[in-house]
Amino acid sequence: MAANQSASGSSDSESPSLFDSSSQPAPNSRSFNRSVRVAEKERRKNEAEDPFVLALKFFSDVEAGTPAFGNDNLERNLVLVERVAYSKGLSPEAISVMLEFAMSLRMGTSPCVRVLKCLVPASVVPQEAVVRAMVWLGVCKIPASTQVLFIKWVLTIFDMIDAKDQLRAIYGFIFSFVTEEYLCPFVCHLLYLLTRKESVRHFRVQKLLELQSKLGRQPFLLHLLSLYKVFCPEYVTLSIPSRMKSGFRNHNSPWKSALIAVQRRNGSQIASSASLPSTIKDKTSSRKRKHYHLELPVLCSQVNKQAQTEPSLGRKLVPLVQLSSFTQLLDHMHRIELPAQMGSLLGSSLALQYLDCVQDEFALLRLNFWLGYALHEEFLFCGDGRASNSEEALQFLDKLLSTQHFLQESFSSTEVFLYKFLSVWDGSLLRPQILSLLSNIPVVPSSQIGRLLFEPLMQLFFTSSLFFKCGLIECLNSMLLKWLVWHSVYALEDDLDISLNSHTSVNMTLSGFKDSVMELVHFVGRLASVGLQLEGGHSLLLSFILDFYETVCDTFLKYGLPLIVMFPPGVFFPALLSPDPVSVDRLAYIMYRYKVNLTSAKNQEKGTEQAFHINRQTFREFNHYLVVMVSCLWNSRMFHSGMGVELGEELLLKSNVPQYSKSFDLVHHPAFLSYAVDFHHKCWPERKDLDLDSIKQSKPWSWYLEYLHNQGYDGLKQIVPAP
Amino acid sequence: MYGVHNLMFFFVVVYHVFPPELVESDEEFQQSLADALVDETDFTVNVRLAKSLPLPVENEESRPRIDLVVFIINLTSELSFQSTEASLKYLDPGYFLGKVCFMATNARNASVPTERLDAVRKLAASLHCPLLFAEDQTPDGVANATERLLTILKVAAGLVPMATPLYLSNLTRCTVPLDIDQPSFD
Repeated sequence: MAANQSASGSSDSESPSLFDSSSQPAPNSRSFNRSVRVAEKERRKNEAEDPFVLALKFFSDVEAGTPAFGNDNLERNLVLVERVAYSKGLSPEAISVMLEFAMSLRMGTSPCVRVLKCLVPASVVPQEAVVRAMVWLGVCKIPASTQVLFIKWVLTIFDMIDAKDQLRAIYGFIFSFVTEEYLCPFVCHLLYLLTRKESVRHFRVQKLLELQSKLGRQPFLLHLLSLYKVFCPEYVTLSIPSRMKSGFRNHNSPWKSALIAVQRRNGSQIASSASLPSTIKDKTSSRKRKHYHLELPVLCSQVNKQAQTEPSLGRKLVPLVQLSSFTQLLDHMHRIELPAQMGSLLGSSLALQYLDCVQDEFALLRLNFWLGYALHEEFLFCGDGRASNSEEALQFLDKLLSTQHFLQESFSSTEVFLYKFLSVWDGSLLRPQILSLLSNIPVVPSSQIGRLLFEPLMQLFFTSSLFFKCGLIECLNSMLLKWLVWHSVYALEDDLDISLNSHTSVNMTLSGFKDSVMELVHFVGRLASVGLQLEGGHSLLLSFILDFYETVCDTFLKYGLPLIVMFPPGVFFPALLSPDPVSVDRLAYIMYRYKVNLTSAKNQEKGTEQAFHINRQTFREFNHYLVVMVSCLWNSRMFHSGMGVELGEELLLKSNVPQYSKSFDLVHHPAFLSYAVDFHHKCWPERKDLDLDSIKQSKPWSWYLEYLHNQGYDGLKQIVPAP
Repeated sequence: MYGVHNLMFFFVVVYHVFPPELVESDEEFQQSLADALVDETDFTVNVRLAKSLPLPVENEESRPRIDLVVFIINLTSELSFQSTEASLKYLDPGYFLGKVCFMATNARNASVPTERLDAVRKLAASLHCPLLFAEDQTPDGVANATERLLTILKVAAGLVPMATPLYLSNLTRCTVPLDIDQPSFD
């Protein structure tokens, strides 16, 4: 089988090579030729006895009109072919023979479905076979359901077809099938994959619009139209929603599992027989190790060899695969040919650089389509309910993450996928990857953010463990950071209008952006307040929350966003009264940064006319927090009226705490008590009994503050500078 | 953390045995979830499994206080949903103040019709109850489901200071079905 494959591979899937100057591989000696001939003879002899070869011979030679019913010969041979197909997959010739047999209806319609179902290719599918079958589709009286099955098959094995040029040549013929209502969704999908700029014609657009008025706004029509619009915006005046229902449904179910099984079994063989010359070195090595269905396709050119070597074709396109350095990329930037499988772009840094520089809308549309499809299939709706926590899923998502990291933006298909995934997520499946992807999403309009993000996240947050809570807060912090960085990069100063993330075409006004940021900060404020309450003010959670507010307090000075949002009391008080000195100190630092931001905003407000206006309420909140903090830690005036924490006089007396108003100053605060004791010992080593109140005298007090600063508590120093 | 509390948790699993090939995996999930819950060391959890409500009249007197009722809905089976709907009628209205939660499995399965998922969401939303999703196929998924149920259980049993079952339920309740597919971004 392996020998058979590799021999056939060389004739069928002749791959474009960098070093191929002539269309014929130059034979260097006659002895080579002879040995080839001898081997060929040997092979034929072996094959003559092979029952599988005989079976294929039966199917290629069988007379038209032979009855299928009760035909033992047919049954025996078909079983044989099926067995080979499901175990090893069919070679390109076998596919040709079987497809021709099925579509020509030589033995009627009944074996046709069965044959189509077992067409699992071992390596590649010859283009000619598919084209011939397409022609049969127009000639024969094939039942509707079988026609649909055939197109589904073509869609499933589309990436395994060795070349697409002839298929593109019969684009118009394929297009004619859109009028068949039952075939339309599948034909649209096929056309989507085949469409190039030349294929977009005015009459085709007209036809699709006509169909749309008849069938309604079907997602498959919209998807094809949106592609046409990218190529020829002058033909398609229709407004296309930027986010559409996933247009083409999953229809590879009859073959998918068989295909995966066969690919896994033949992994190494396919890799060698397909032997696509890849200039990306790290890809080839990883390719040989594993051949998983989720692995990114290898970068390969979409036109076949003939088309490439004939310069008479006019359009001298340079396939991405032939470029090996950045300089080469720059030289050919204007005539890059995209690979057949857009997914392969993710694996190549050159391709990503191209994508980043050129901002090719067509490439992005196709990449998004492929990605959305892959994500949807593999993670959201895995057919057989198998767990997708496998190694390959992890690798795929990691690859996607590194791509997004490289491009520094997210794909819109990832975004759509995430929104759907969150709504059925259990909170643990692929958690690190999902949270990282989530932190990459571009700014969500404030009208949508609650429904898309906050509702599912809120439910997950409050029902999940402490570690999930911490992870989610961290994720939202990095999301906010990215939004702020985007803002500071893309903001146009003149009209205060920012266009965020050019790829998703979400244009946002500054006030829209501010609204979204405000919504996010308020949302985290809610999560943080209630989360701390439910977790008993856990210091790990508190630490992640303070991380978030370290970002929030600096929005104005660090990222130039005219917006300052204070934290809620539910965060301030747990941090202030935390038994952990680091949290108290970080709170002081955040207060200090708020102060610097607010002061500078106020100065700007005075200086220029059109500067932004900060809500008086924000100043009031800040002042209140500052007063509480200083009077609690420095002035020992806890529980005084207007401090936020008010308790009845009798209740406080009942607690039997002497001098309760002092109990949270820097000496008696549970977080600092051990420091106070240590300081006491150092200050008065001869004293036997502990009198912490003596630290509060003016001289030791300043020494004590100095001592705390030396312990690394800089936040405290900044909020009330040492005297 | 909580010392030895001898609290009784009553855990009702409603699911239906159909189609037949699903029996094993469903029962397995139910059982492994129950085992994991009982293994909780901070406090004692008692788990009762039932296939539908009402519960038999027999031991009614000796039955302990129920802190949380969990309905497990296998989304691949229409009957699982129907029997949940039918069983809900027999539950005292008081339970809906934070002591009921739904747990759906197989939500990512391609064979689940979106209408059923929507119907489950609507059901949970109309009762103001949380709807959790669980991955019942993997040990990690079961462990995570257990952990989330315990989180709810602690609050429902009054073990978390300053949080009542109704409070948590209100924070986590299912909202109206999402319709992300609708083009509404423009």
